[in-house]
Amino acid sequence: MIKSPSSTQLTLLPQPHRTEVSNVPRSLKSATEGVVQAKAARTQTTRQSLWYCLYLPQLASLSELEQRHCLDQLAQLSQQFSSAISLHPQALVFEIRSGLNYFGGAQSLHAQYQSDVEGRLASLGLAPQFNYAACPTVEGSLLLARGGGNTLVYRKENLHSALGQLPIETLGLKAEPQRRLLNMGIRRLGDLWRLPPAGLRRRFGSDFLGLINKALGKAPEPIKNYLPPPAFVHSYDLPYEVENTGLLRPVVDEMIAQLCDFLRHRELCASSLTLSLVHERRAATTLDIGLRQASRSQQHLMLLVDTHFDNLQIPAPVISLRLEATQFDAFISHSESLLTGTESPSEHTAPSRHRQAGKADDSSASLAQFMERLQARLGSEQVQGLESVEEHCPEYASAPRPPGRYEASPLSSPSPAHGSGNADATSNPRPLWLLDDPVKLTLRRGGLYHRQAISLLNGPERIESRWWSGSEVSRDYYVAREAGGSRLWIYRERSGERHWYLHGYFA
Amino acid sequence: MTAATRTTIEQLLEANQDLWRGFQGATSLDHYATGFAELDAILPSHGWPACGLIEVISRQCGVGELQVLLPLMRSLIASGRWIVWVAPPYSPYAPGLAQAGIDLSRLLIVGRGAAPAKAVPAKDALWSMEKALQTHRCGLVLGWHNTLAQKAVRRLQLAAVTGGTLGVLFTGSNSDHSPSSLRLQIKDSTDNKGPYAEINVIKARGSFKPGTARVRLFSPFAERVIR
Repeated sequence: MIKSPSSTQLTLLPQPHRTEVSNVPRSLKSATEGVVQAKAARTQTTRQSLWYCLYLPQLASLSELEQRHCLDQLAQLSQQFSSAISLHPQALVFEIRSGLNYFGGAQSLHAQYQSDVEGRLASLGLAPQFNYAACPTVEGSLLLARGGGNTLVYRKENLHSALGQLPIETLGLKAEPQRRLLNMGIRRLGDLWRLPPAGLRRRFGSDFLGLINKALGKAPEPIKNYLPPPAFVHSYDLPYEVENTGLLRPVVDEMIAQLCDFLRHRELCASSLTLSLVHERRAATTLDIGLRQASRSQQHLMLLVDTHFDNLQIPAPVISLRLEATQFDAFISHSESLLTGTESPSEHTAPSRHRQAGKADDSSASLAQFMERLQARLGSEQVQGLESVEEHCPEYASAPRPPGRYEASPLSSPSPAHGSGNADATSNPRPLWLLDDPVKLTLRRGGLYHRQAISLLNGPERIESRWWSGSEVSRDYYVAREAGGSRLWIYRERSGERHWYLHGYFA
Repeated sequence: MTAATRTTIEQLLEANQDLWRGFQGATSLDHYATGFAELDAILPSHGWPACGLIEVISRQCGVGELQVLLPLMRSLIASGRWIVWVAPPYSPYAPGLAQAGIDLSRLLIVGRGAAPAKAVPAKDALWSMEKALQTHRCGLVLGWHNTLAQKAVRRLQLAAVTGGTLGVLFTGSNSDHSPSSLRLQIKDSTDNKGPYAEINVIKARGSFKPGTARVRLFSPFAERVIR
């Protein structure tokens, strides 16, 4: 159990550095004031902090992603106790001295936290097993927790003795330095205190000595603060039921404006939004708004909302609106070109500055917005690019692909992959249209017939492929001309009944 | 008297940009070369107009209605613009387009769905076409409609002019009155040297005279009869 702290330990200790400073006569102090005060301030903060460490050895068996998820969950839980939280392998550390009075001391804080953590671990499907420790340094608390935990050290002076008890295995060293330490007869950390630091540095490197110094509070410990992931959820209860998107629009506009403010404060962009129209006694209508180019421009987002609204039949009166940003992206500002005389300086600070940054960017943004609106109205599977596949069988040689993200610079000549495809294809003609299902041609009076009589122009080109896949392709392709002038791409099967099929148009 | 009148007409023509001679054609207009000299000769601006709606009428598919646009597509892609295909009747075939020198990364195919091709409703197709025409970066927008109300054609024409883009509408039948900038009919004919395409300008803004051009659209592979 945590040793119950005596009241003298809780109160702040007299600080030698500070008293020293205050004893210095005024005249002398002024010369070195800045330096000394800075030093005093630093010692003061390290003195004051008390780091609580939660160590979960069971996490080691989980994957890195699961560990990360679990620690994120616990960090969110810890936010009610502290604002300075840092994540470490299988452990998280947070500062509790600043809130000790408020939470009624370390003991009650720990009791409260322990039950929360156990509940959270159970919800994550983990056993309620963890070690904990608190001491004035981050590394020290980590070592204490790893070494068995349940320790509370208030004063930095006591760190030597508290850490000295720990076996050196708690340092988590690699096998080789650990073996060397054992060979030197060092079993506990306390044995290290007696050795000269210079020698330790030479034998085990400055990282090792840095770790020891940090644990003892002799070296500063920069920590990387845990930042909760951004979240934006905003709902608005309408004063009366609304069935008309025109009346919803101003409300949504206001909500989007708040979202844009939120994004601007955090230097973020939204790349996916969900707008829910809540009905009474009925599942909410949700609009998923995906953006091709993450944005934080109110006009842009509103345009997408409008596109969704255009196509929307509201099934029941709406009583409330809910806007959630589900995906964020870092905001990338476009650099302004130096010599565009047409732009006024005020535009540089405008909220939607990336849309106004030069003509080329403007038009690329409008293309991206056009694609977004198409996807919003038709569905993303209806907006496709096209790519050539290195495939012998004609129907597999062309495939849809997601239209590539637009790049500001005009694409250079087709990639080498396309080039080689061309070289292969130029020898034999390929049509511009391909029928999804080949149309069977009939024979009439000894000639081929589709809608009109067909005469062959060029061929045959033999294509044999996919014998490995069960549906073997073995065909002779011809270029043909229909009596009306259509140029056709037709083939005759080389097996079975040897039927003729229309497969494409040269158009 | 006549000399004096002529000079005043010349002066008027010089002074006023809105006056022009009927059969001269507005050569100063922005245009794209069609890539076919015979066709350039009969078009009022000696090429495709820079923006507006072109109607291409062909009784059946496959007589060269895409071939005639290939040089235009190539030059638009070279200038960094996109070709948008709105609800095409068949699948555009990548190897064929690559063979024709089209950069596939600049194509956008709208309303053809995933593998089980299901077309979008005509209303959505028209909406997409209008929006595409209003987007300047979409240099060429291709659409297929057999019967389209004049009102819709006018809207598309307006969208193309405001967006500075070129729209092509492929139809099967000719309507008498249409607000489009240019209306062409493509037919296939044969003379003693083999088949050729007969392109007939039914209507062109900036010109009163209809014309016909004989163009060999297909490369030799599709011209020679083997059997």
